[in-house]
Amino acid sequence: MSGGDLPTKEVNVLKGHEGAVLAARFNANGEYCLSCGKDRTIRLWNPHRGIHIKTYKSHGREVRDVHVTSDNSKLCSCGGDRQIFYWDVATGRVIRKFRGHDSEVNAVKFNDYSTVVVSAGYDQSLRAWDCRSHSTEPIQIIDTFLDSVMSVCLTKTEIIAGSVDGTVRTFDIRLGREISDDLGHPVNCISLSNDGNCVLASCLDSTLRLLDRTSGELLQEYKGHTCKSFKMDCCLTNSDAHVTGGSEDGFVYFWDLVDASVVSSFRAHTSVGFLPFLGPSPAPHKISQARKAKVPLLDWGLF
Amino acid sequence: MDSDEEDFVFYGTPIEREEEITTRKKKALAQAGGHLRTLPAWKQEVTDEEGRRRFHGAFTGGFSAGYYNTVGSKEGWTPQSFTSSRKNRAEVKEQSIFNFLDEDEKAEMEGRSLGTSMQFDTFGFTASELARKQAEKEQEKRPSAIPGPVPDEIVVPATESIGVKLLMKMGWRRGRAIKDSNTNSLSDIRREARKAFLSFAADDAEGQTTGAEMVEGETEYSANLPTNDDTDQFTSSTPVYVINPKRDSYGLGFDPFKHAPEFREKKRSRTSGAKERKLQKPLSLGESLFGFKSGRLAPGFGTGALEDLDVEDEDVYAPGYDFEDSYVEEIEEPSKPMIENVKKLPKTKDGVLTGFKAASISDYQLERFDPPVIPKEFVPYHKFTAPLDVGSKFYEAGPPEAIPPDDNNLKILIDGMATLVARCGKLFEDLSREKNQSNPLFAFLFGGDGHDYYARKLWEERQKRTDQNKQHLDAKLFQNAEKMTAESRGKILGEKPLERSIRDSATSAGSAEAVNLQYNLSDTFTKPASLSELPEAVRPFQDDPAKQERFEQFLKEKYRGGLRSKDAGGASKMSEAARARERLEFEAAAESLEKGKSGKGSNTPSQLFTDILSASGLQFTTGLSEPAKVIQDEELVKAKNYPKREEFQWRPSPILCKRFDLVDPYMGQPPPAPRHKSKMDTLIFMPDTVVSSKVEENMPLDGNSQTGSKDKGKVDIVEEEIEVDVEVEKIERPVDLYKAIFSDDSDDDEENSNPKQVEDPEKKTAAASTTLNRLIAGDFLESLGKELGLEVPPDLPYSDNKDKGKSTLKETKTSGKEEKETLRVGNVRSATDYAVSGNSMAPEMAETTQFREHFMQGDGRVKEPPMEITLALNEKNATGTSDRNGKKGKYEEVAGEDKKRHQSWSTDSSQDEKRRKHSRHRRRSTSSDDDDSSDDYRDRHHSRSKEKRKRSSREKSSTRRRSKHHKHRDRESPGRHSRHGSSRREHRETKDRRKYKD
Repeated sequence: MSGGDLPTKEVNVLKGHEGAVLAARFNANGEYCLSCGKDRTIRLWNPHRGIHIKTYKSHGREVRDVHVTSDNSKLCSCGGDRQIFYWDVATGRVIRKFRGHDSEVNAVKFNDYSTVVVSAGYDQSLRAWDCRSHSTEPIQIIDTFLDSVMSVCLTKTEIIAGSVDGTVRTFDIRLGREISDDLGHPVNCISLSNDGNCVLASCLDSTLRLLDRTSGELLQEYKGHTCKSFKMDCCLTNSDAHVTGGSEDGFVYFWDLVDASVVSSFRAHTSVGFLPFLGPSPAPHKISQARKAKVPLLDWGLF
Repeated sequence: MDSDEEDFVFYGTPIEREEEITTRKKKALAQAGGHLRTLPAWKQEVTDEEGRRRFHGAFTGGFSAGYYNTVGSKEGWTPQSFTSSRKNRAEVKEQSIFNFLDEDEKAEMEGRSLGTSMQFDTFGFTASELARKQAEKEQEKRPSAIPGPVPDEIVVPATESIGVKLLMKMGWRRGRAIKDSNTNSLSDIRREARKAFLSFAADDAEGQTTGAEMVEGETEYSANLPTNDDTDQFTSSTPVYVINPKRDSYGLGFDPFKHAPEFREKKRSRTSGAKERKLQKPLSLGESLFGFKSGRLAPGFGTGALEDLDVEDEDVYAPGYDFEDSYVEEIEEPSKPMIENVKKLPKTKDGVLTGFKAASISDYQLERFDPPVIPKEFVPYHKFTAPLDVGSKFYEAGPPEAIPPDDNNLKILIDGMATLVARCGKLFEDLSREKNQSNPLFAFLFGGDGHDYYARKLWEERQKRTDQNKQHLDAKLFQNAEKMTAESRGKILGEKPLERSIRDSATSAGSAEAVNLQYNLSDTFTKPASLSELPEAVRPFQDDPAKQERFEQFLKEKYRGGLRSKDAGGASKMSEAARARERLEFEAAAESLEKGKSGKGSNTPSQLFTDILSASGLQFTTGLSEPAKVIQDEELVKAKNYPKREEFQWRPSPILCKRFDLVDPYMGQPPPAPRHKSKMDTLIFMPDTVVSSKVEENMPLDGNSQTGSKDKGKVDIVEEEIEVDVEVEKIERPVDLYKAIFSDDSDDDEENSNPKQVEDPEKKTAAASTTLNRLIAGDFLESLGKELGLEVPPDLPYSDNKDKGKSTLKETKTSGKEEKETLRVGNVRSATDYAVSGNSMAPEMAETTQFREHFMQGDGRVKEPPMEITLALNEKNATGTSDRNGKKGKYEEVAGEDKKRHQSWSTDSSQDEKRRKHSRHRRRSTSSDDDDSSDDYRDRHHSRSKEKRKRSSREKSSTRRRSKHHKHRDRESPGRHSRHGSSRREHRETKDRRKYKD
């Protein structure tokens, strides 16, 4: 609880992007790191050694989100060009492009089996795309949202998405039910706890809200940072002991999960503009390292 | 032969042998094939059999394959047909040579068009043209240092017209006037005459002097004249200068002095001043020939009409050497002093135009003001410091130190008073003075005992306060200067940030820090407009912002007049009674407000309160603290309200389930959308509005589940599952299916009979087709018999038909079992089913009238018997769940609307979702306007009702059929449910319910 496992020092700064970095994600075991940004590229890094491994270029506009399969073989990315790109990691070639969103695509995720890509778009819809077949048509369109869908999370049986209409919606495939939790404030990022019981939602009123997924209860609110107009990532640490989130002033905040006190905050970036926040590194032993690596990674994401 | 051949000498190229050609062809083909295989499509070249390129790129004539190697027209060589009739005379086409020329030939022809031949080319046009062409050709040949055609345009090749040549031959040389000799001789004659005249008066000395002067003047004149002429003649003789050369940088034809000719004059005088300073003649002559429109103005900068041309305006980059001038100057005396020019310049500098003179007194004086002094405590946004006179008193010298009165009580009183006054302003003092006029304790207010001390104390307090305020202000100011973001600026300006709801804006106001600071009243202005519309004094429901909002809405509507919609906002959550009560309350409040406005009486206590407050100058402080409280309350309320949980039905697509490795929860249930949706369906049974009506049904359920406790959720699930099953039964029966079933015998008749029915429903029975009658009668008998408890043998061929249809219907999930079941259905019919059919098989007359009634009534508040089955079910569902929400009325309305619509509901999940979305939208937008929505629904319905009536007969028959299908479905469902055991129970329930209902 003392924040001992929290990152304290900058390990590496990953430099190379020629524009703002919009998202940075670890792969499934925390060994590699992907970043994407306004320079229309996706870059693969080894954050621990600070090495730039590969650049994926094909997007016509800014790349807003990227996700990698658990076996590290495929990437999916999305962005301002309204398409979802399905990449082969090794060759850097685009295997498929999924078109269908009517507007920019904000977030993208693979499911557990890497068979489906679910994308969340500004066109108020979630779309599921099949990676197995050669079809480029969405296999499911969920358009019950009333505003732009900002973030999406997948579990084995559910699709969870947060939208600017203030709702976090859970689509349970197994039950065929949609559960909508209205938070009353635009949600710009959601993140699941590692035990899968809670969902953390970053709202545009500068508050992170932790919801119990089964009951929809609001468990805790985390305040202190600024998040009013930009998409800021947030997540729970690997031990689920802390909540972390980015702030528009370039700080990264860590809260205690239970008593919502700010445990640690440090200035990760020099810019005043917003910065995206990295997803958690899934390997437990890597956490501190990963965290440290993450922070400087975003350092050149200036606006 | 060979030996012979060797002896011959061959001329020309031998004709290729056919074999060779074919080989080439083959090669071409092979090549093409290779290309096809290797090259991408856009690189492949199409060749004809001969291996020639067939298609030409877009830039070289486009896809000209059809025209290639032909006349160049689509028709090719096909002759034009000539037709001419008396009415339509063929036009006699004037044929010219151009009709027979190719494009390139035409182009060539243009070059050879008529022109002056060299011999008669007096002005040298043709010569110059030719010279230009020649130069062009040369230019092409030798590479130029300056790329492009630029030098061509600038450097015009020198040409001489035949006239010039002639003149030259006659001894004329350039720079000389043609009339030269002529004028000279004339002047010579004149001179002679003058000389003679002079000799006459030679003896008079004075006269001589004058004469000499005259002569001088004459000579001067004569000296001037030829030069002038000379220049004229010279310029006119050179073709290049015959036309006014464009020597300015204006656009072609642009005359800067178009509307201000005086300036042109001035300009002219300036430009020609240099060379004509000696010639004091009017400039028009030179002008008309030279046409100097522009001076040496710097290009690119326009001169305004009132702008004066100055030395600075002269083009610095203009070529300094003006050869025209130089000619003149050569001939004129170059020794002429430049004084005149110098003289002229200051004149132009004055900026006085010809015809104007400089005003002696100019009233154009630049008055300069010092910028206003910003007061020290100026804060760049609105503020209301409670003591309004704080600033003014700040620098006042304090009254002298006074000894506190002996009476401790009095001292405390005075202290307190001073503090209060300091805080609330002078008004408070006045007020209390007024109040306590007779009170001896407050004598200090009137200069009595302890007045000095009071005055001193007051001053001290004020001093303290201003200090405090200043500090605050300074801090604030600093803060502001530090970061003035768009949001903060907006806040200062009272702009409402774009947020989704008023609630949010309220919180944003609430989050404003330093609520306690009095001057932070800007918060009041950041409130939504609706709140700030009313002055503080007229807010009877300050303690309840939501209510206040509603009240304002009410007021607005009241004053605006017109139809009053139902209360917006949270009112939808209120019960009818509460709403009515509130309305009454509002009415009263509004009335009292009205009175308060006209008279001075303040009726509501709150108003009294605010009156007092405003009188004592406290209004701002209280006005502030109260909203703050309200905001806190709101926060609390919000914390309670959010997060809100709602649950909906959602249908994942089967493939999604597959990909997620899950069992499709809706597996086995009819697949969504594209199933069987015929045109007829959408036309008759699926009006768009139904979609929304369905949603209303879902709504109460959702409302219930909002609370979201676990067991509640379970209940909901159960309920919804029931609903699902119900829906399954409500699956629409596509009309074409019915057609397929009945087409063999009755379709045509039906079609025929329909118009008649429409035309005269009263006579319908008589006019009805026999087949229809038979069918109906059969069913009717059946049902009647069942009702009476009699066994009536089923109409066998008819049921056969149905079974056939059924099998097609059940295509998706055909199983032998089901087949059997359906067969059984054909024979065994439950009482309910008969009842159902009985209902719908009411005698035709009654039916039609009923339908008519129904459609006349629009939304069918009155429920007719034939549409009860599903309705009843739905109602049951609804009553079970939705009564509490007060939505029932609405629901029933909608539900009663049209039975067929209900029947046509499908379980199709995507549609469900859509509806749900619809409903949500509606709920958001018109949430409380139940009446409203139903109103327009009704409207829409009416607009359709006519059409409906027309269709009624057809519908009726199909309804009947559909109701039959219902039976089948009912029968079938157990079979299906045996697979899905879990839902069987519910299904039974519904079935029972149905029975019960019937």
